[in-house]
Amino acid sequence: MLLALEMRAASAQGRSVDAREATVAELVSAAHGGNRAAFASLYERFHRVVHAIALARVPAYDAGDVVQDVFADAWSKLPRLRDPAAFPGWILAIARNRAIDAARRQRPVGVAADLAVDPPPRIEAAAALRAIRELPDTYRETLVMRLVEGLTGLEIAEHTGMTPESVRVHLHRGMKLLRERLGDERIAGGGAR
Amino acid sequence: MRPSMSDYLFDKTGDDPAVAELEGLLGVYAHRTPLREPPLREPPPREPARRRRWLPAAAAGGVIAAAAVLVVVWRSGGSEECTAAGPGFAFSVEGGPARCGGGVASRGTLRVGAWLETSSSAVAGVRIADIGELTVFPDSRVRLVGTGADGHRMQLARGKLAARVVAPPRLFVVDTPVAAAVDLGCAYELTVDRDGRTLLRVTSGTVSLEGHGLVAYAPMGTEVVASPGRGPGTPVAVGAPDSLRAAVARFDGGDPSAVRAIVDAAGLSDTITLWNLLSRTSATERATVVARLDELAGRPDSVRADDVRAGDSDAIARWRHALEQRWICLECYPGKKQ
Repeated sequence: MLLALEMRAASAQGRSVDAREATVAELVSAAHGGNRAAFASLYERFHRVVHAIALARVPAYDAGDVVQDVFADAWSKLPRLRDPAAFPGWILAIARNRAIDAARRQRPVGVAADLAVDPPPRIEAAAALRAIRELPDTYRETLVMRLVEGLTGLEIAEHTGMTPESVRVHLHRGMKLLRERLGDERIAGGGAR
Repeated sequence: MRPSMSDYLFDKTGDDPAVAELEGLLGVYAHRTPLREPPLREPPPREPARRRRWLPAAAAGGVIAAAAVLVVVWRSGGSEECTAAGPGFAFSVEGGPARCGGGVASRGTLRVGAWLETSSSAVAGVRIADIGELTVFPDSRVRLVGTGADGHRMQLARGKLAARVVAPPRLFVVDTPVAAAVDLGCAYELTVDRDGRTLLRVTSGTVSLEGHGLVAYAPMGTEVVASPGRGPGTPVAVGAPDSLRAAVARFDGGDPSAVRAIVDAAGLSDTITLWNLLSRTSATERATVVARLDELAGRPDSVRADDVRAGDSDAIARWRHALEQRWICLECYPGKKQ
């Protein structure tokens, strides 16, 4: 059983179809026993939402480090997670704590802090990201997941435990606020129709 | 019926050019980095600690029993987390008390995930698997993050350590709050102050100090500071003049105009500073650095100045290979001009 799961998890690294076959709880259980391939599959599934949570709070050049820290933390603390099915909420909580800590260590940073990544983004991108960060927590995380990481509303719901309808509401309210902050009639302009 | 924008924003069906434009703009920030390296650590045991079972019994036995337990812990060299069998690094402490895994310890095994904390008078020696040793100075806090065939990783939260490692490059890494010191075969000292500011001083070989998207390549005889929010700064020779240090501090603080002052202050011993600047400067500033580095140390035929000025990473690396001989043995390779 364990060998079979290991094989599925290992192959999941190379073929996304296999990654979908194992449930999160199965991967967590395998990783709990030291299966690194299973843990790598968990990373593949959750790194984008973890990054979104980080990017919603810290400059772009720091967000990647937060992601690595979160998963390093998760690996060492995994045995403390009693319910494997609770992994999504658990990893997001670690991400928020790590991101908040990282943000506290930062001096106030301007748009330039989001330009120091490779490839260099346009100045408008850094400005938009900064505007998103000024939104309330729930909206900014959801918007970063959607607009930066490219997740659909359903994928966001699946990874965060929110209901699809809540995600929809957050996206639209967040976009409305973002539009007001950017002062750009084009952005979310369709929503006002 | 929902407007078309609603569908696109939620599930990408329909059409909304404005949201699509935002996606295109912000997509550059999407996370694409794989797991930095396979996790090194083995998960700690499922049970947090056996003492949870015997502590209630000790309490029931009264103060005498509790005191006896403390004596046992002290004499056995620390809490079970630092004495039980399993992957970890052997350590011993001299000069004062230290804590390991929550208990007082004079020797034991630093297990994956456990912290070793020295008092104001204690110095700890830690065996880094079979590749080297670590000295942990007073008032320091270190943790074993992971150890395995593919590498060993520790964390220095505060204080100072000295490492001596004989191993292939990148096998031993020490994380600090603002950077990671990656061993490239060397001996070095690492200090972290209360703000997380990190000072690396390399005494042998080479260390790569990495973080915030920056890499500081620091060979023997150099030092580099990594600051919160900025990552590793530009390495300088230990004996660098104050004028050069001041200019480097300005540059690392975000003032690109300081490059001119660095170039003016740099001598033959400062080629390490100039070389590191090649990857940290814009094209205009880089041209100034290339000219000075060429003047001081010469440039091999295999390295075209135009390529370096254009920021070609291969050309910059090839120049480093030529300069490394100088950094390891300055007097063996005098420059073209002093």
